[in-house]
Amino acid sequence: MEVINRYIYAVTQKLPSSQRQDIADELRGLIEDMLEERTEREDMKESDIEEVLLELGSPRELADKYRGTKKYMIGPELFDSYILVLKIVLIVISASIGIGFIIQTILDPVSILNYFVDMIVRLVTVLPMAFGWTTFWFAIGDLYDGNKQKDLLGQEWKPSDLPPIPDEKRQIKRCESIIGIIFYTIIIVFLAFSSDYFGVWIFRDGFNGVVPFLNEQTYGIYLLLILLVFGTGIIKECLKLVKGKWTYRLAIYTTIVNAVSMAAVLFIISRPDFWNPEFMNQLVEAGVVTAGSEAFDTVTAIWNQSTFWILILFIIGLAWDAVDGFIKSRKR
Amino acid sequence: MADANEHLDKIMLELRRGTITIGALSQLSEPQYGYSLVTMLNEKGIHVEPGTLYPLLRRLEKQGLLDSKWDTNESRPRKYYVLSQTGKEVFDLLVVEWKNIAASLDQIIEPKRGDENGGN
Repeated sequence: MEVINRYIYAVTQKLPSSQRQDIADELRGLIEDMLEERTEREDMKESDIEEVLLELGSPRELADKYRGTKKYMIGPELFDSYILVLKIVLIVISASIGIGFIIQTILDPVSILNYFVDMIVRLVTVLPMAFGWTTFWFAIGDLYDGNKQKDLLGQEWKPSDLPPIPDEKRQIKRCESIIGIIFYTIIIVFLAFSSDYFGVWIFRDGFNGVVPFLNEQTYGIYLLLILLVFGTGIIKECLKLVKGKWTYRLAIYTTIVNAVSMAAVLFIISRPDFWNPEFMNQLVEAGVVTAGSEAFDTVTAIWNQSTFWILILFIIGLAWDAVDGFIKSRKR
Repeated sequence: MADANEHLDKIMLELRRGTITIGALSQLSEPQYGYSLVTMLNEKGIHVEPGTLYPLLRRLEKQGLLDSKWDTNESRPRKYYVLSQTGKEVFDLLVVEWKNIAASLDQIIEPKRGDENGGN
């Protein structure tokens, strides 16, 4: 009897929990009926049970029949784009981490073993994470895909519903999105792992270290937000890639994504503890500039102004991106 | 010949899928449980496996063509299915459609067979 329980369990555990008990009861009745027909009561053998279960077929096939439709996380419409984005992201991340390793080794050949271990650790932690996030967002996209829902509603379709072939200017070139995704991925990898190389490089008899732009004590907290900003950038490019043309909806999405990014950037960059507070002092210590000289004043001015200008550039860039989307979606 | 049989199996699988639905609906003006339906259909020459019929019955129930009720009075509990009002209407329409298809196909197939016989 144990084998019957196992069989029923194997079938029903693959089914929605709401139907499980009912189907299990029904299956048990069926198996007992089939056994009874075979054995004329009381004289039941293991081989009879086996025969009956074989007649019912493998639990997986039976469960498939109960389920009717095949289930998937990322449907055929999105699958090609999904694979493309996944490839880009994984290749770019591997390449960036590899290049990071090479640069580190060139700058400091003695610690090659440490850098090598670092590289392996990064690859092992980051690649699955990237894979997971990409899959997650595509699965979400598949769930809320507007076109598919329309099909499901079974609305009557008319030839006049056919959308016009989008104007060249309205089309989003694939390479544009692909470059965008590559770009954002590189930035993410760089900021996540090589932030200590983000600064002024000091060379004197070879590489002598970096005066970092960022405050290393507080950086960890901001990193999350920064990843969010560029992560949403990747999502935006994926949306463009999947849609293939500008529409008002896409333009609105872009605007929302850009607004969120802008808010995050504003928040990060305006915190005084985001930038390295000792930057000027460290520059002087490293002997790049001498305190009190004209060069020192210039660099100080640039350093103090930089927050403002980075902000301006960012806002212009993001605003333009959104406006551009709207302009292009208006074109027929 | 083995090859031909393989093709035949595939096509028959598709062909049966629809006919089993009609067969099942035809027997359900009175409540039946799954296995009794399998036996009834087999006796009448419509071969259907329980593993196919049971999921089908649930699907038809979900679509509203069948009503179901658990009977727990007998030695073992059984789920009985019977045509719903919609199911009855659908079945009547299906019968008409089926007859049309059968008649049309007959017309297409029969003359050809006549030709072949004539040729021999």
